[in-house]
Amino acid sequence: MADRVKLQIDGKTVEAPAGALLINVARQAGIDIPAFCYYDGLALQAACRMCLVEVEKAPKLLAACTLPVTDGMVVRTETAQVREARKAMLEFLLTNHPLDCPVCDKGGECELQDAVFRYGAGESRFTEEKLHVPEAQWSPVVYYDAPRCILCYRCVRICDEGLGVRALGVVNRGATTEIAPNRGDHLECDECGMCIDICPVGALTSGIYRYKTRPWEMKHVGTICTHCGDGCKTTLGVYGGQIIRGNNRDRSGINDEFLCIKGRYAFDFVHHPDRLRTPLVRRNGQLVETSWAEALDLVARKFSEVKARGRKFGVIGSNRTTNEENYVLQTFVRQGLGTNNLDHHRTGDVVSLVAALAGRQGALAASADLYQRKAALIVAADLAQQHPLLAFLLRANWRHHQARVYVVTPGPVREDSYAVRSVRAPSGEELAAVESLRDALAAEPELVILFGDSVKGERVRRLVEFGDSLGISVQYVCLLDYSNSRGAADMGVLPDLLPGYAPVEASGAPPGLTLPEMLDAPDLDVLWVIGANPLARRALTSKEAFVVVQDLFLTETAARADVILPAASAYEKTGTVTNTCGEVQRLRKAVEIPGTKSDLEIFGLLARRMGLPFGPWRPEEVWEEIRANVSGYNVPSALLAAGGAFPTFPASGLHSVRPKPELIRSAGDTLFTSGTLGRYCKTLSSVREAPGTLYRS
Amino acid sequence: MAVKTGDVLDSVAAIAKGLSVTLRELLSPTVTEDYPDAPPKFQERYRGLHVLRRDEQGMEKCVACFLCAAACPSHCIYIEAAENTAENRISGGERYAKVYNIDYNRCIFCGYCVEACPTDAITHGHGFELASYNTAALVYRKEQLLEPPKALTQAAD
Ligand code: SF4
Ligand code: SF4
Ligand code: SF4
Ligand code: SF4
Ligand code: SF4
Ligand code: FES
Repeated sequence: MADRVKLQIDGKTVEAPAGALLINVARQAGIDIPAFCYYDGLALQAACRMCLVEVEKAPKLLAACTLPVTDGMVVRTETAQVREARKAMLEFLLTNHPLDCPVCDKGGECELQDAVFRYGAGESRFTEEKLHVPEAQWSPVVYYDAPRCILCYRCVRICDEGLGVRALGVVNRGATTEIAPNRGDHLECDECGMCIDICPVGALTSGIYRYKTRPWEMKHVGTICTHCGDGCKTTLGVYGGQIIRGNNRDRSGINDEFLCIKGRYAFDFVHHPDRLRTPLVRRNGQLVETSWAEALDLVARKFSEVKARGRKFGVIGSNRTTNEENYVLQTFVRQGLGTNNLDHHRTGDVVSLVAALAGRQGALAASADLYQRKAALIVAADLAQQHPLLAFLLRANWRHHQARVYVVTPGPVREDSYAVRSVRAPSGEELAAVESLRDALAAEPELVILFGDSVKGERVRRLVEFGDSLGISVQYVCLLDYSNSRGAADMGVLPDLLPGYAPVEASGAPPGLTLPEMLDAPDLDVLWVIGANPLARRALTSKEAFVVVQDLFLTETAARADVILPAASAYEKTGTVTNTCGEVQRLRKAVEIPGTKSDLEIFGLLARRMGLPFGPWRPEEVWEEIRANVSGYNVPSALLAAGGAFPTFPASGLHSVRPKPELIRSAGDTLFTSGTLGRYCKTLSSVREAPGTLYRS
Repeated sequence: MAVKTGDVLDSVAAIAKGLSVTLRELLSPTVTEDYPDAPPKFQERYRGLHVLRRDEQGMEKCVACFLCAAACPSHCIYIEAAENTAENRISGGERYAKVYNIDYNRCIFCGYCVEACPTDAITHGHGFELASYNTAALVYRKEQLLEPPKALTQAAD
């Protein structure tokens, strides 16, 4: 009896945990109580009085959003008195509210509109002049229209509690009360747009989607953000073949409603005027446009010729292409070209982690663990900037469950503000500082350790040994930069490992060249780069090398190419990606850019022209092959197709790795950069906080 | 065979009756319209070719709210919205229709769009001469639907 109570809502008998809020209990029982200020997971406000209900024996109406349920409570949510109260509250909210619905960007998905439609009066009794305040632009992203604001303070709370940014506040009193930004007339913040999408009305609107169309006119495509490694689900709004909006209002996915600026607004690279839409080949030193057939023929001929002469290939894969593409690429390279010279830009040492854990089930943390586990240790990462979702989940864990967070970083980070201990340690020397936390960590019931790129090679093994020696359950997250960095490693886009971290020696061949070794090899004949920009940082030694690049833009690497094949981005294809926690999720195709082809399709066309015994490939078939062949990927396809995220556990037999710490380097992207791709996102560079620096909090 | 007198009388009566109708109609006012020699007359609420209206300032009334397009059962209204700026002010609201097309291949003149419009921007005019050999010509653009700017009335006098 103590922890569960029985109550009656609208004649329905409902059982609920004691202390649960009436509004949630009712919603779970399928009884909707309108609410503006209440928002799941944020502090209670009780400001709007929309949720008033009748409770037996209570002398007046009570706010359901702050009322804990008790045993024997009898609640009525649809009586004449309640309806009258709702009507009166709405009339009150509308006193100064403009009749803006036809132009308001929230129209059609506005909670106030819905509430007035259901409970409001048909006519207004006010004839007085309404208060008029001009709209303000607070940043390229955030606009505020004060008269539309119903002062629910959701925006203030999400920015303060949810993100720890505290950029929004309340000014003035009475009828002139307004929300105000932290810098007087403008905002300096994360520019995440959380406040905009959480706003129940059209008071906060986005500069990106501003007056473009209306919600019901768009096609809504839920896919996975292509930027950082956290794997947020973003719902892209497509109108007239253009992506014009991103959000996650249906709160599906591992990120609930969270998205950072990149997932919400940095989709504009898709329609960037510099997007490559025609294959280019080099003739007399100049890159000139050509047809797909001609470009593919040229590449296939060159590949076949170099292969026949037994000469040297170098292949560099991507951190953003799908698992299916990565899997097919390694098949193509290993079986089609007969080489192991295959690598990608490694942004964290997941290989060493997999080796150190030796297939121990449950030792990799899922993103949900960051919200649930009792303690976490962040080593060598500016989590709020490099992994905004993980930082958000950890912060929510601290807010809701008082999680104890420890920080070991080279400089100040946002997590310091609520961490139990923060230790500064220079990059590369974090482990000594971690050791100094031993007693405190050992006293925790359980722990998640997140580590960045400077914990690599031997240090990963030592960190895992440290974790093991604590005598508590420890889970790990190896932080990786991009949307499918983890998938590239899992699918064996590595010179020494096959898919599922199986050593290549098993197939009888010696390991191939690493990325720098390829670029430095004086006798390299072909360099094939798929969705990467290695020449931005390092020169290509072989002057003779024939360079083939598949990319979206004319990057530094593409500028050196002999053939450039215009590729489709993640928002233009289907397939799966694996986030930094190892959760695999499905991409859905939002738009198509004429002239481009997905990398998977390009592999198939090349294979056919080279007369190789495989391809063309369809993502669904490759996925089934991955499920069957790649250790840890046997997750339910149907649930994945329905939009689920599934943890993968590479149960590797890998016991000895050749640690190559010199290969591991995170790009150190901030909230406002995203590798080479980020340069083509105008929204990211338009905000005044861009590009930002790590460890500056 | 002899002709019966009764039959003759019956015939004469029938002819006279018929002629009387003819004569009466001949003298009553005509209802047939002389279209195309003379312009046809319409009921006030006849639903013809749409007209996009302007307000007293001469601004376009349409704010590109897409409600007409949402109401349209034949999906024949296509709109592209854009934002008014201080230099380029087209409509009275913040948003205006950069593109507003009605496809008269598909329009069934039901008037739902007119009903839906919150600003009374789209209305039915009395235009009906819509036939064309070229279906492409039946997609009317905003410039064809918009009422011409009126000479501004002086508010002061
Ligand atoms: S906030 Fe909602 S009710 Fe207010 S003008 Fe916008 S759509 Fe209409
Ligand atoms: S955009 Fe994000 S960080 Fe900026 S004010 Fe809104 S919620 Fe806060
Ligand atoms: S701006 Fe929106 S979220 Fe913020 S208080 Fe006003 S209505 Fe609420
Ligand atoms: S946290 Fe990462 S995955 Fe999520 S929206 Fe931001 S960049 Fe995308
Ligand atoms: S009259 Fe009917 S069919 Fe024609 S545009 Fe309007 S709503 Fe559509
Ligand atoms: S939702 Fe309960 S007072 Fe606002």
